[in-house]
Amino acid sequence: MNSAATAIDVRDVTKTYVLGDVKVEALRGVTFTIARGEYVAIMGPSGSGKSTLMNLLGCLDVPTTGRYLLDGIDVSTLGDDALAAIRLRKLGFVFQGFNLLARTSAVKNVALPLFYAGIGVKARGATATERLREVGLGDRLDHKPAELSGGQQQRVAIARALVNDPAVLLADEPTGNLDSTTSEELMALFGDLNAGGRTIIMVTHDEGVASHARRIIRLRDGRIVDDRPTAPN
Amino acid sequence: MNLSAYIAEAFAVLVANRVRSILTALGLVIGVTAVIAIQVLGASMSGAVGGVLGSLSERTFFVVPNQRQADFTRAAIRLEDLQRLRFDVPNVIDAIPGGQTVREARIGHSRRRLGVGAQSDERFASETPLIAGRKLTPEDIALARHVCVISGEAAQKLQITGAQVGSSLRVGDHRYTIVGILDRSRAGRLPSLANFDISIPYTLYEREYARGRAIIAARVLVDDTSKIAQTESDTLAWLAALKKGRVEYQTFDRKSFSKAVDGIFAGVTLVVGLIGAVSLVVAGIGILNIMLVSVAERTREIGLRKAIGATRFQILLQFFIEALALSAFGCTVGLVLGVLIGALVNDLAIVKLSGIVAPIPWLRSIAIATGFATIVTLVFGTYPAWRAATLDPIEALRYE
Repeated sequence: MNSAATAIDVRDVTKTYVLGDVKVEALRGVTFTIARGEYVAIMGPSGSGKSTLMNLLGCLDVPTTGRYLLDGIDVSTLGDDALAAIRLRKLGFVFQGFNLLARTSAVKNVALPLFYAGIGVKARGATATERLREVGLGDRLDHKPAELSGGQQQRVAIARALVNDPAVLLADEPTGNLDSTTSEELMALFGDLNAGGRTIIMVTHDEGVASHARRIIRLRDGRIVDDRPTAPN
Repeated sequence: MNLSAYIAEAFAVLVANRVRSILTALGLVIGVTAVIAIQVLGASMSGAVGGVLGSLSERTFFVVPNQRQADFTRAAIRLEDLQRLRFDVPNVIDAIPGGQTVREARIGHSRRRLGVGAQSDERFASETPLIAGRKLTPEDIALARHVCVISGEAAQKLQITGAQVGSSLRVGDHRYTIVGILDRSRAGRLPSLANFDISIPYTLYEREYARGRAIIAARVLVDDTSKIAQTESDTLAWLAALKKGRVEYQTFDRKSFSKAVDGIFAGVTLVVGLIGAVSLVVAGIGILNIMLVSVAERTREIGLRKAIGATRFQILLQFFIEALALSAFGCTVGLVLGVLIGALVNDLAIVKLSGIVAPIPWLRSIAIATGFATIVTLVFGTYPAWRAATLDPIEALRYE
């Protein structure tokens, strides 16, 4: 496989948590690759290990065994600060609860990763403004999260996730806090982003939402039980 | 590194939580204010007392009976004995009885109750310069002449000018010719220890005010000031022999006075300063507490910041600067209040009452207070910031 076309390469990854005397095997050997430009949904019942997989893919945690290559970089053995740098440059997160800074305007929320990347204040504002326009919030730049609807807040979060031009966009139950109409709008936005070349990985338990992806990986008891493309819409 | 952005963010957080920020900073305000004000007042008061001591000649020391002994009445020294001291103890030039009484002094239309003191010739007088006339001479002493030297302060009270040297001053039932007027002493408005309002020859004093009364205190003039301590102990030994060890005496000179006074002020300043320091530590614990609250409240925010790529150091910096900003705010207010209170009390109380303007170590006081507050902040601000920096992003994002 051409590594330049591979965004994510997970090889025989396990994750074991030790809770007191009890060992919990959250992932029991998971192998898959995701090419650039793919749009993948990860599904599974609670306890299936999908949250653990999401944390590993998001470089918030490292596997117990196995290898994980993100955009060609082996991140399975990196330390805290190196992982932070990977998250900053290669990944964009979208959370169920939006996780916007409440006191901070939309444009400054979006600019936050650029701040940690050490980019100057002017360039931060310009790039953040551009990203907000792309998600259709060009007229809400200076609104605080409380002044925005749920759908708009999630759009701000998506703009923030994209502001560093990441290799992969990771979305954890992105529609979990949204009504169905807004969810549909958000899925349309994800579709547009994917059509524009973005690699998107989305964790959800909602079949309707997952059906927007072009491939669904299903987990159960820490193993992949199903991995197939969705029927074309 | 965008430090200004961190600082702006820190102040934004403090303003957003303004009530608790102000309450937390209050501890620091009180501590810094106290430390500065105490040091300023200590310097100011010790300067005032130093001014009083400065009126003493370095060449004289006092001999007084030890106040704690049971039989005080045996302490009296006869004038003849006192006059023998200069022959018996090396380095002693002369010894004179100490004596001061209060009488009404009149000249022209001015009348004031003033202190009349036994003085010897100018070797005994302080270094306070004359503005007119002369000091007392050995002849004045030997002949017990009816002459006097007026202190600068007394001259002002009686409205005597230099032109009135040679005039007659009525003191109680007596008349003395004014032979000299001293300049105002460094003691300002405080009572001078060596310059009486009206100095007359001690021989005259013995005759007119102390007749038949015992001499309790004495002043001794030495030749070589570097040997003053030895001379003092020799004098005490001489007195012990004279009194056959039944009376204890003690001596004071300018140095031992200053030392005693400086010791008292240093002690008071230290104790009160320590209380201020303790209040600063308590203020530091307040900062520690509120920063821990702040970190706990913003656990999800920290999780998010870490998820989008903030390093541990960047998180540490954010919360550390927040603690510093809180401290800087409290410190600044404390500095302004401390300097204001110090200056006000110094000007309105010490300087106005004593007339002495002592050098105030403003910079040192400010440096000590800010330095201590900074150390406290560094110590207590680091832990919450470290806690924030080492939070697990997964746990933090899940935090409700």
